[in-house]
Amino acid sequence: MKLFLLVLKNIRRNLLRSVLTGLGTMVLVVVVIMVWSILWFLDEQTKEKTSNIKAIVTERWQMPSRMPLSYAPELRAGAARKPEHVRPLDSMTWQFYVGSTEPNRFGRETALFIVGTQPEKVLTMFDDLDTLPPDSPDRQRLEKAIQAMKTNRQALLIGRERMEAINKRVGERLKVYGMSLRGVDLEFEIVGVFPEGRWNNLAVMDWEYYNAAIDAYKRRPGVRPHPMTERSLSIVWLKTPDTRSFTAVASQIAASPSFTNPQVKTETLASGTAAFLEAFRDLIWGMRYFLMPAAVVTLCLVIANAISLSVRERRKEFAVLKVLGFRPAHILGLVLGEAILLGVVSGLLSAAGVFVLINVVFGGLKFPIGFFGTFYIPVRAIWWGLGVGAATALIGSLAPAWIACRVRVAEIFARVG
Amino acid sequence: MTIANDFCVQLRGIHKYFFRGSERLDILNGLNLEAPEGEFLALMGPSGSGKTTLLNLIAGLDKPSEGEVWVRDQCISAMSESQLARWRTRNIGFVFQFYHLLPVLTAYENVELPLLLLPLSAAQRRQQVETALELVGLQDRMDHRPGQLSGGQQQRVGIARALVTDPALILADEPTGDLDARSAEEILDLMAELQRSLQKTIILVTHDPRAAARADRILHLDKGRLVDSLPVEPTPVRRSPRGSTRE
Repeated sequence: MKLFLLVLKNIRRNLLRSVLTGLGTMVLVVVVIMVWSILWFLDEQTKEKTSNIKAIVTERWQMPSRMPLSYAPELRAGAARKPEHVRPLDSMTWQFYVGSTEPNRFGRETALFIVGTQPEKVLTMFDDLDTLPPDSPDRQRLEKAIQAMKTNRQALLIGRERMEAINKRVGERLKVYGMSLRGVDLEFEIVGVFPEGRWNNLAVMDWEYYNAAIDAYKRRPGVRPHPMTERSLSIVWLKTPDTRSFTAVASQIAASPSFTNPQVKTETLASGTAAFLEAFRDLIWGMRYFLMPAAVVTLCLVIANAISLSVRERRKEFAVLKVLGFRPAHILGLVLGEAILLGVVSGLLSAAGVFVLINVVFGGLKFPIGFFGTFYIPVRAIWWGLGVGAATALIGSLAPAWIACRVRVAEIFARVG
Repeated sequence: MTIANDFCVQLRGIHKYFFRGSERLDILNGLNLEAPEGEFLALMGPSGSGKTTLLNLIAGLDKPSEGEVWVRDQCISAMSESQLARWRTRNIGFVFQFYHLLPVLTAYENVELPLLLLPLSAAQRRQQVETALELVGLQDRMDHRPGQLSGGQQQRVGIARALVTDPALILADEPTGDLDARSAEEILDLMAELQRSLQKTIILVTHDPRAAARADRILHLDKGRLVDSLPVEPTPVRRSPRGSTRE
């Protein structure tokens, strides 16, 4: 404690340099935390679970997946045909529909990516929404919107960001012109928005409304068959209690004679996500093995440079301390203490700052990778900031601290005498 | 290893040399020195004569190439760096020419520095620091930083820092070298007074004959050898010099 006060005073010695070093540390810690948050989130998404497993069934050989809607009932039952077969705990279907609010323009302000599904499944099968606490305002708002979807087939649940992009509000009506399925135009009334998060850019409609529209389209005189009308089912989601049940359901689907043309595949959401992220492999590799280490090494160098300058200026002072009885370990501790304190405080401030700035002020970090458009800084990043600040300060100041503690008093005070 | 004697400092057959490339530079050549307890000893000599090197050896800041350095009953030339650091805290007070106070600390905190290494309570430290600052007449400047003090006042703080652990031996390397004549006189008066009242052994390195004249004994160093010893007329309260030198 006695020496800690000396450390504090030494940091204040050259306040400008300490502040600049601290700011440099903060900037680099921000970079590390943002990259780390994205990588951590993606790692979490691709980490295999052992319980409450979500499985996705898609067309085996084609991306994007297109399956006949007739597959839906049997797939949702996990292809269970015998009493001893395992059935999923829950299921839903997804049918993709891409449209624009203007007939001849498709851009950021007009585009809509809409999923046709069973409205009630939004609360039980959608990631992050299925874990909302029952008494949370987000959950209650969502329940109200889903209730509205049950009575209004043209109801649309939409992400806030998308809704703002197309300049609409809850309660307003809009017409969407089909882009993925030309000629199938849909009319909606916005009944609610998703809670802030990963569904910010998605919209959800009642699958029955979408399928009725497709049927109506097919019945039109002179309309030629369209692949999207024949194969409108994109994904079937299944929830199984554990790995064993998942394996059983996957085997049942694989063994079923109903899914031969086209063939389907069943995989966990984690492995499906990992397969999807393969397209971004180089980007993720660069972030993990180039950007992150580069930021950390730069941070070490910034600290090493600042502490080296400080040590060089204070060689005589360290010699004086030795004359007064300070041991090399004391001096090592003083220099390391200054660097680590600076690193810890800067790292902590930076992490807390980036947490508030990204999550609260900016509403997330926009970094679109597939479905993951917005990333958030996890609370644990505050500890990352502290750890990164402390560790890089320690590494960066080791050499200068060693030089400081090896100062030879006789050499420093060697004068002509 | 310990020896029992009356000497505060004993140097036996000290050689100190360095190598510059293949050339050997002899700084001290077979030097012997004995300084009794309570003596005020002045070391004089031209530039490059080895005065500061000798002082560094006595303080345990450097090691002799050959020979032994004894301070009281301990052979400090055989101690490790850490042992020497511990030993210095309690046994040596060092006064520098350029004061070498830490600019970020107040006079009080500068004087307190060596005490931070000792197992003392805050109250004990405070008492010792206040006593030391009172001895040098700076009790009213405790909260001033070095930059707010004159050269003479800074040197007084340096002397208080050297005294605060109550060491037996005080080493002063040109303590008046950076001061004007008046301040230098005040510092020399103070050192003489402290030596008289506290019975400290003081070894003073100086170029200044007036400063050396305050000592009990003056030793001259030339080319690494002690060439003569000039006893000084003792002041009434001082003890007679008992030390001797041998070449």
